[in-house]
Amino acid sequence: MARADPPPPPPAAFERRVLRSAAEHHYLRVRLELPDGGARPSAAQFKQLVVTALRELHGEVGAALPVDVLTYEEKTLSAILRVTSSGLVKLWSALTLLGFYQNRRCAFRVLQTSPFLLALSGNSRELVLD
Amino acid sequence: MAGFADLNLPAGPDKKGLQSLLEAAARLGYSAVALNHVIDFKEKKQEIVKPASPSELFPSLPIVQGTSKRIKVLNRLTLIVSDPSHCNLLRSTSANIRLYDIIAVFPKTEKLFHIACTTLDVDLVCINVTEKLPFYFRRPPVNVAIDRGIYFELLYTPAIKDSTMRRYTISNAISLMQICKGKNIVMSSAAERPLELRGPYDVANLGLLFGMSESEAKAAVSTNCRATLLHGETRKSACGVVYTVKKPRKVEEEETTLPACKKAKTQA
Repeated sequence: MARADPPPPPPAAFERRVLRSAAEHHYLRVRLELPDGGARPSAAQFKQLVVTALRELHGEVGAALPVDVLTYEEKTLSAILRVTSSGLVKLWSALTLLGFYQNRRCAFRVLQTSPFLLALSGNSRELVLD
Repeated sequence: MAGFADLNLPAGPDKKGLQSLLEAAARLGYSAVALNHVIDFKEKKQEIVKPASPSELFPSLPIVQGTSKRIKVLNRLTLIVSDPSHCNLLRSTSANIRLYDIIAVFPKTEKLFHIACTTLDVDLVCINVTEKLPFYFRRPPVNVAIDRGIYFELLYTPAIKDSTMRRYTISNAISLMQICKGKNIVMSSAAERPLELRGPYDVANLGLLFGMSESEAKAAVSTNCRATLLHGETRKSACGVVYTVKKPRKVEEEETTLPACKKAKTQA
């Protein structure tokens, strides 16, 4: 099949810019769901639980991931976690696959994730729209 | 945009448990779930029962979080086949099979996997995630399945329950990804309790762990589920289904609110 040479491309009238997310950290707002009447973890136990989850799925390398618990409310079992952006998928998947706390079932609900801490102050998904 | 769906909630006799599962799924943001009826041919006396209509089972379905719509409940039939003769049931035009929205097969051997991908009239092929794969996936049947619009189903609840199963889930998923390259995957739960369910974004993130890209992972909980459902609907019709959606009407007031001077300019 004969093919004509394509005409030379016109000079680009645009400039390509790639913006990578330069955010160093990602923030997650999570809530721990426990069956009724179970022992509630304290802040230290909560951090321990997160590290255990990371170790279960990703081993020692996962456990060494820099994760901080910024706030933790024992009453509602909700917390804000900070993790380096490269470790977001690891932390999130570890939380997803965590199924037990002290041999009782539990579930982590990741409510929001954002590279900006301020974004966690409101949740558009909870707005009642009509 | 297709809403999120979970195509595998085990349908049992426990109505109360099912109701709490539905409520949990709606709260997590799933807009459609499928109740799974399993038929294992190894056990004797397995009859395909007529699925109960969801409106009979549950008088009031919960409202999906973030919307004002009620959750959609579908019926799904899963056949566990370990012998080629079991597939005859699918070829015969059994009246009860037609009542299910989605039909899935769980092939136990490589030969049956090949048959399921290439000839059987099904919507989903289940992938074993609780034990080591008894065979390797090969490219030809998988490619045929992708061409025919059949999807592969991966379950994630076994991975939450047990660390050994977690290992098998991840390794089987990765070996499937190498062949199908992240296309035509559906991820669903098979959760028996509300605490085993995970939110759609959590599941999509899990897809990244299995080696999918971000868009493929999100499609595995949204658009691919919808495609499976539509594939199931084509079985009931002669050749296909067409959906029409009402287009929101453009507000024509914009023009009238423009200042008079601007209008005159465009006409001149």
